[in-house]
Amino acid sequence: MLRIAIDIGGTFTDIVAETESGLHSVKILTTPDAPETAALQGTAELLHRLQKSHADIDSVVHGTTLATNALIERRGAKTAFITTAGFRDVLEMRYEKRFDQYALNIELPQPLVARPQRFGLNERVLADGTVLTQPVETEIDALCATLQAQQVEAVAIGFLHAYRNPANEQTVANRVQSQLGPTVTVCQSAQVAGEIREYERFSTVVANAYVRPLMTRYLERLQTEFRQQGFNGSLLMMLSDGALTTVENAMRFPIRLAEGGPAGGVALAAFVAKQTDSKKTLSLDIGGTTAKICFIQHGKPQTTRLFEVARSWRDVKGSGLPVRVPTVELVEIGAGGGSIASVDALDRLKVGPRSAGSEPGPAAYQRGGNQATITDAHLTLGNLTADGFADGMIALSPDAAAQAVKNDIQSPLNLASIEQAAAGIVELADETMANAARVHGVELGLDVAGFDLLVSGGGGGLHAARIAEKLGIRRVIVPAHAGVGSAVGFLRSPVAFESAITVMEPLNSIDCTALEDRLQTTRSEISRIVDDANVTTAVTIETIAELRYRGQGLELSMPLPSDAPLEDAIPELVHLFETQYKKLNGFVLENIEIELASVSVCARSVTPASTQSQPAKTSAPDPAIHTRQYYDPKAKDTFQIPEHSRYSMGTEALTGPLVVPEAQTTTLVRTGWNIKNTTLGHLVMERAD
Amino acid sequence: MTLSPASTDNTEPLDVVTQNVLWNRLISVCEEQANALMRAAFGAIVREAGDLSAGVFNANGEMLAQAVTGTPGHVNTMAASVRAMLAIQPAESLSPGDALVTNDPWLGAGHVFDFVVVTPVFIAQNIVAYLASTSHIVDVGGRGWSAEAASVFEEGVTIPVMHLRRGCPSKGYQLRSSQSPGSGLRGSDLQGSELHSSQLHGAQLNEDMLRIVETNSRVPHEARGDILSLLTSNDTGARRLLELMAEYQLTDLIQTSRFIFERSLQGTRTLLQRVPDGIYDSTLALDGYDAPIHLQASMSVKDSHINVDLSGSSKAVNRGINCPLNYTAAYAAFGIRALLTPDVPNNEASLKAVTISAPPGLVVSAERPSPVSARHVIGQALPDLMMGCLEQALPGEVLAESSGALWTLSLSGAGTTEFTSLNVVLGGMGARPATDGLSTTAFPSGVGAVPVEVAELAAPLIYQSKEFVADSGGAGKHRGGLAQRLELRSALDEDMSLSAAAFERLTSGPAGREGGHNGSAGKVEITDGTQITDKGNYRIPAGETLILQSPGGGGFGKPNHRDKSAVMQDLAHGLISGEAATDIYQLNNKPNNKPTEE
Repeated sequence: MLRIAIDIGGTFTDIVAETESGLHSVKILTTPDAPETAALQGTAELLHRLQKSHADIDSVVHGTTLATNALIERRGAKTAFITTAGFRDVLEMRYEKRFDQYALNIELPQPLVARPQRFGLNERVLADGTVLTQPVETEIDALCATLQAQQVEAVAIGFLHAYRNPANEQTVANRVQSQLGPTVTVCQSAQVAGEIREYERFSTVVANAYVRPLMTRYLERLQTEFRQQGFNGSLLMMLSDGALTTVENAMRFPIRLAEGGPAGGVALAAFVAKQTDSKKTLSLDIGGTTAKICFIQHGKPQTTRLFEVARSWRDVKGSGLPVRVPTVELVEIGAGGGSIASVDALDRLKVGPRSAGSEPGPAAYQRGGNQATITDAHLTLGNLTADGFADGMIALSPDAAAQAVKNDIQSPLNLASIEQAAAGIVELADETMANAARVHGVELGLDVAGFDLLVSGGGGGLHAARIAEKLGIRRVIVPAHAGVGSAVGFLRSPVAFESAITVMEPLNSIDCTALEDRLQTTRSEISRIVDDANVTTAVTIETIAELRYRGQGLELSMPLPSDAPLEDAIPELVHLFETQYKKLNGFVLENIEIELASVSVCARSVTPASTQSQPAKTSAPDPAIHTRQYYDPKAKDTFQIPEHSRYSMGTEALTGPLVVPEAQTTTLVRTGWNIKNTTLGHLVMERAD
Repeated sequence: MTLSPASTDNTEPLDVVTQNVLWNRLISVCEEQANALMRAAFGAIVREAGDLSAGVFNANGEMLAQAVTGTPGHVNTMAASVRAMLAIQPAESLSPGDALVTNDPWLGAGHVFDFVVVTPVFIAQNIVAYLASTSHIVDVGGRGWSAEAASVFEEGVTIPVMHLRRGCPSKGYQLRSSQSPGSGLRGSDLQGSELHSSQLHGAQLNEDMLRIVETNSRVPHEARGDILSLLTSNDTGARRLLELMAEYQLTDLIQTSRFIFERSLQGTRTLLQRVPDGIYDSTLALDGYDAPIHLQASMSVKDSHINVDLSGSSKAVNRGINCPLNYTAAYAAFGIRALLTPDVPNNEASLKAVTISAPPGLVVSAERPSPVSARHVIGQALPDLMMGCLEQALPGEVLAESSGALWTLSLSGAGTTEFTSLNVVLGGMGARPATDGLSTTAFPSGVGAVPVEVAELAAPLIYQSKEFVADSGGAGKHRGGLAQRLELRSALDEDMSLSAAAFERLTSGPAGREGGHNGSAGKVEITDGTQITDKGNYRIPAGETLILQSPGGGGFGKPNHRDKSAVMQDLAHGLISGEAATDIYQLNNKPNNKPTEE
């Protein structure tokens, strides 16, 4: 067995091979001009190491942020947008509101298609799907002539109410494609994002058309080169919602690849959650610039169907381009190792969202950065040591770190010691991340205290215990293989595809036959997409109904049986809805119609099995190798605490305080916590009381 | 997360980091509350608007923190309403589990649609804090959404301050048999969330009050749901607050209040120092209901305190566009604070640095029983009035005038089919000192439009177009935001009724600054030839189309100083006409590529 996972990010390309003997990985620099170069080179290197050839590879799974980068850097195709006459500015008017009430100088992102390339066409479908005006061929042809003259490479079509009836979009798409020829990409809004709300749907179809030529060319090159090397297995692509799909399908909907990289990280978290028997898991990935959180229940990550790419204003929510496709629901927080700590005009200690990144980086890097960051604080406190950071690739200067903390925080706030200032920075960072988790939990109607915390990224283990304390969480998991997490996650992901349809009808007056027809069409479409990947495991189809009280924004999701007739399922839906609603709000409402807002359908293969992580060797831990100096913020004093290695740790618990330093991360076990290894190599921390 | 024996010992001062954390967390508590409320609100426009707010107050009724979500109109008003409500229902009379409610425009948020719910939070017998939230209820009777009422009595049912829920005083704080009253929670291991649940046990909803609202509302069940959501949201906030206090072993918020207020006051003062002391006067003319309204402000800046006197503004009118002083103060202060202290969080101390006054009985200080339904027509003009004062103090730093009052588009069936539809039509924001104004984006309101597809699904309407209007943004070095033209008609062959209550700036456009031109005035007409000239109700006959053109934002700086490539791009995008390019922007070498027309 040989499976290869390729994760191409903005800076690094990670390649992981999974064989019977376990996981093997290589990390090389991304080659932005021809990203396939690094992928091929890294794969060759790994194969060489394993003494295997391309022909031995059963499958390649691939995720990449290339589509997102193209949107951020505006490197996509010359795109035109055809919409209902009178509505060409919808794309630029956006939500028609400011995303920050108090900032008077905000800027909105420029639309991907400028006004001269946005065209209105006489056609109209009404809210109930009735065609009021059919498009006229001569008008389409005249428009095509203009498009040809403008030499557009891609055409996005988005008509009002196409989510209800795509007939006019289809007619125009066919005509445009035949007039402009196969070299021009043509995308329809109902196919890319078949849901109500014109701005979001138009934004999605335009983004899809914009990146499609580029992504298609790239994927074709990658596939061809792999085949030429003798690879004859399947090539699958990682989607934003943590599912894999065929490369052909990915080329149709490249916008669905946008969050594939982060989705891989979540997929690994979900997999480890299952392995460690964690039913409710809060995944927290703390990187250099930001932290990302995702809720996972019963090994299934929380997903959503709306996210933003290419935020244009200081990474503020609301300043990006909305994309309405399924995606893992990640909340990004501006708090990572490089986040800058400062004292503001109100003498408040602030941490992030400004970041020193990796260049110039924290003061301790001595690469020109002199502002105090979270990393500097950890170094000052003894949570990190000068050597052995990031696998020894970066030497840290404790003096530079302490100096920055002194200048930026201790002096302005008049604190008694540098350590107290550094502890303050870490506490604020912990608080910021814990708050984000708490607020997001409330949004989802979840009580965070009942979850386990699963951390990854360079800073995960450093912050885990304190964040858990703040959230009332009693169990923390620090998985093995955190360094190349996304790529490993690809290997743990199922082949799947999800699609949603808007209904917006009261439950008691739904035309069940018509809806079942629509559902059936959707089910067979997505089943075909999943079948195309030649999956060997069983495929299940899951249907989720989203209900709400008519007029209310609070939508609750519940499963809809795929086999029973819709009519029979409705009373049960009402019951489920009322139960969930009561749990969330403490009351139910009478005499208000319950409305079926939308239905999403997902076909999913069973997740492939894996070779296991390195098991723990002994049941009793080896004695500590070293001790290190460490500042305890509660006692406000410095102590010697023991250092343990992950691999010398056993399945019997050790009691904190202690640290577990590793190549890519350090786990800090605070007083009041125990830590042990599991048989699969994942560390588990638990509250001692 | 437990209250240990040491917990009541608060003599040791909290360190600065802990204080910081507590402050952040209090804001986060409010944010959770506001988000939950927003999703639970009935009516798309209320959700879009975030027409709600949530805050946490100390035992004295002083606001400690407020959600950043929410409209400016609820900021100052809610800060004052907790104290106003406690003046009527004193703290001593409250028990665990109690919650107070009112929609009195002069105690709440300026019109009867806004309900405020205040919930005291107890530890043992002591009130340690209050949670408050406010939100817009779709309908409370009366004339519904219009400016037609001649007095507040016609605008819907008013609920004086009363209990929305009554706790059980005998049970509420007998948490553990071992506790003697007054001893705090010494020795108890009770967690914050348990503490709160126990307070709610046996509490009774005031069904009488709810029935009064339901009986008076056109959408009784939704109204009930919205009011109960406020209650739930406060309970969630109270639970979070008690958890926080348990985590940090606090039994009161006295130190925390002091820290927040001192820092906020200091920060605000420092930021206000850059405004030179002096008195700055400004005026603004509005269309009014059917006769012009004059707004006048005299802003005095002294020692980092700003007071604005609105004497000289028009007297209150007999239609529902009057504004109670609490709502006036909210928007006026918002304008000042957005420009000068945008990063200082809202609380008692930061709001105190700006005071707004007016003699009673003016359009900006209307008294009961003046009608006030569409009070935002006046309220949302005030930030521009404030900017007019500040421009003199800080020349070159102040944005041009924006389209002002949100144009509420309220339509209903006037034929056989009953329906109501509420949307907004946004105009342009004024050009900023360093950049163009935002097109079709409200300022000062934060409300966005309901999507066309959602609006058409909810009511039998056909939107025929929604596009930018060329030359509507005031010309300038930086161009004002563009207006839009919206056309719509009934999808049925039936008459419709339109409330023009909020169509303001139909006679003159928002003013430019520093040599920038005015934005275009708004215009509303029906294809049968009717011109909308006042804020009354109009009939749209079957088959006719309503055409609305919102106002454009004012320009900033002289048009001939505009970057030529920006002028050429505006021309190529059809955002300005060829005449404007040559005559106003003085673009001499006309580009070959004419604006693209479809």
